[in-house]
Amino acid sequence: MFERPLPRWLAWAADPEQLQRAPFLARSPLFAGLPRRLLGRLATRFFEKVYHPGEIVFEEGDPGRALFVVVEGTVEITRATAQGPYVLNTLGPGDAFGELALIDDFPRSATARVATPGRLLILYKSDFDALMEGNSRIALVVLRNLSRRLAIYARRKPVVATEPDPERAGPL
Amino acid sequence: MKPGRLLAWGGLAALAWLARGLVLPLFLAAALAYLLSPAVAWADALAIRRSVAVSALFAGIIAVLVTVGFLLGPGMLAEGGALVDRLPALARQIDVGLDAVVRELAESAPALRRLLPEGGGWVQRFVLNRGPSEPGDLFEHVGHLFLLAILIPFFAFFLLRDMHRLIAVAMDRLPPQHVETSVAVWRELNGVIGRYIRGLVLDGLVVGALAALGLWAAGVPYPLLLGAFAGLANVVPFVGPLLSAAAAGLVVVLTPGQGLAGVGRVVLLFLAIKVLDDTIIQPFTIGRSVHLHPALLLGSVVVGSHALGVLGMIIAVPVATVLQETARLLLEHRRVLARRDLRHDPKRLVV
Repeated sequence: MFERPLPRWLAWAADPEQLQRAPFLARSPLFAGLPRRLLGRLATRFFEKVYHPGEIVFEEGDPGRALFVVVEGTVEITRATAQGPYVLNTLGPGDAFGELALIDDFPRSATARVATPGRLLILYKSDFDALMEGNSRIALVVLRNLSRRLAIYARRKPVVATEPDPERAGPL
Repeated sequence: MKPGRLLAWGGLAALAWLARGLVLPLFLAAALAYLLSPAVAWADALAIRRSVAVSALFAGIIAVLVTVGFLLGPGMLAEGGALVDRLPALARQIDVGLDAVVRELAESAPALRRLLPEGGGWVQRFVLNRGPSEPGDLFEHVGHLFLLAILIPFFAFFLLRDMHRLIAVAMDRLPPQHVETSVAVWRELNGVIGRYIRGLVLDGLVVGALAALGLWAAGVPYPLLLGAFAGLANVVPFVGPLLSAAAAGLVVVLTPGQGLAGVGRVVLLFLAIKVLDDTIIQPFTIGRSVHLHPALLLGSVVVGSHALGVLGMIIAVPVATVLQETARLLLEHRRVLARRDLRHDPKRLVV
């Protein structure tokens, strides 16, 4: 159970949105292991946006500037092929995508399209960098979780295939 | 363009023209909101409601201002009162000195006589006699200041409380595919402006405190007033430190018993503060928020002073930084898009 940040007598002053956001982020694999105090600080840096089905979050080749976390709905990660878009992965609540934008300036390697009505949390690289400057612990935990995800993809058996393999859909 | 839309734009432009008097309070309120935003972010992290956090913050600021007023107010009022009482005598003293210099110049170089201003008593004529002549003018000035004192915290309060809602509305209006890049540019600029404003204020506080302490130690009269002036003037690049040193130097010259040694001490003090500010204080306070080339920095201050006077000189550096950062981010965006187009170019596959 996520610890309440305010004493009971101050419950009237609590922001319900923030109270929900920090525990939600704690369940995301990317932010696992962050203490409550730092999760609270991280949660304030996110923006929330409602998306409608079919809306493009970002396209393959776009400059990557933010990380996205699915709060509600589903997001399809697709890659363009000669036969048309190929679905690499379908993400649901709690899943994060676009995380590589936090560590490099390379363009997006796939397209993210909203499949069912939903809400996404957006963390911009500049906000993440500003947060890291004052809290090296955040940088350490997030980058360690990200490295774990990258290591899992890197250790998978190489497959020679003409079409993108959903099993090999790594971080964007 | 459709006539209805044209009419709406025309109405908006007319409204903006009518509300142009609100630009300065809004600008200062935004600066105040940037200054206080870390405290609100800290409360956000504790999941405290924005309205509660901002109200508590403003109550705290009022308490601090009242305390500081009680502690430093009597001293500053006494210094200010003494200065106002001495002002006519000081002006006469400066005028006598200036008249003597002009006479000497005219005698030694008669060719310059035409260039030299005629008459005497410039300080009395141009400074002391320029106060509000009518009681109505005085009320207008006081009323304007009072309005600013009310409007700035009022706007700052609502900017701090509702800015995140305004951003959410703006993000919902943007095409989804452009949300990432456009908001990212704004977030970067927001970070730069916030760091610059907070750094500038902290820098001004440190410089003001150092100047007041140094002047007090050197036995210069009005150290609190001169220190406060040095801190405030510090926000004007290049000219500010010169003005505060000149003001302190002038007070020393007009104080019996200080002499040239006193002027030397003041010059040394302000030189030491400037060196300390450039090498130690600013890297900690303003730090990496401004990456302007010195020539561009100077150019922006000159252009700002021509366009908007002192206010232009103060906002020149952040405005130039924002323009430079926007250009850099847009160029970077175009470079990434060009890389993508090149990757998708079928001719490239043949090559």
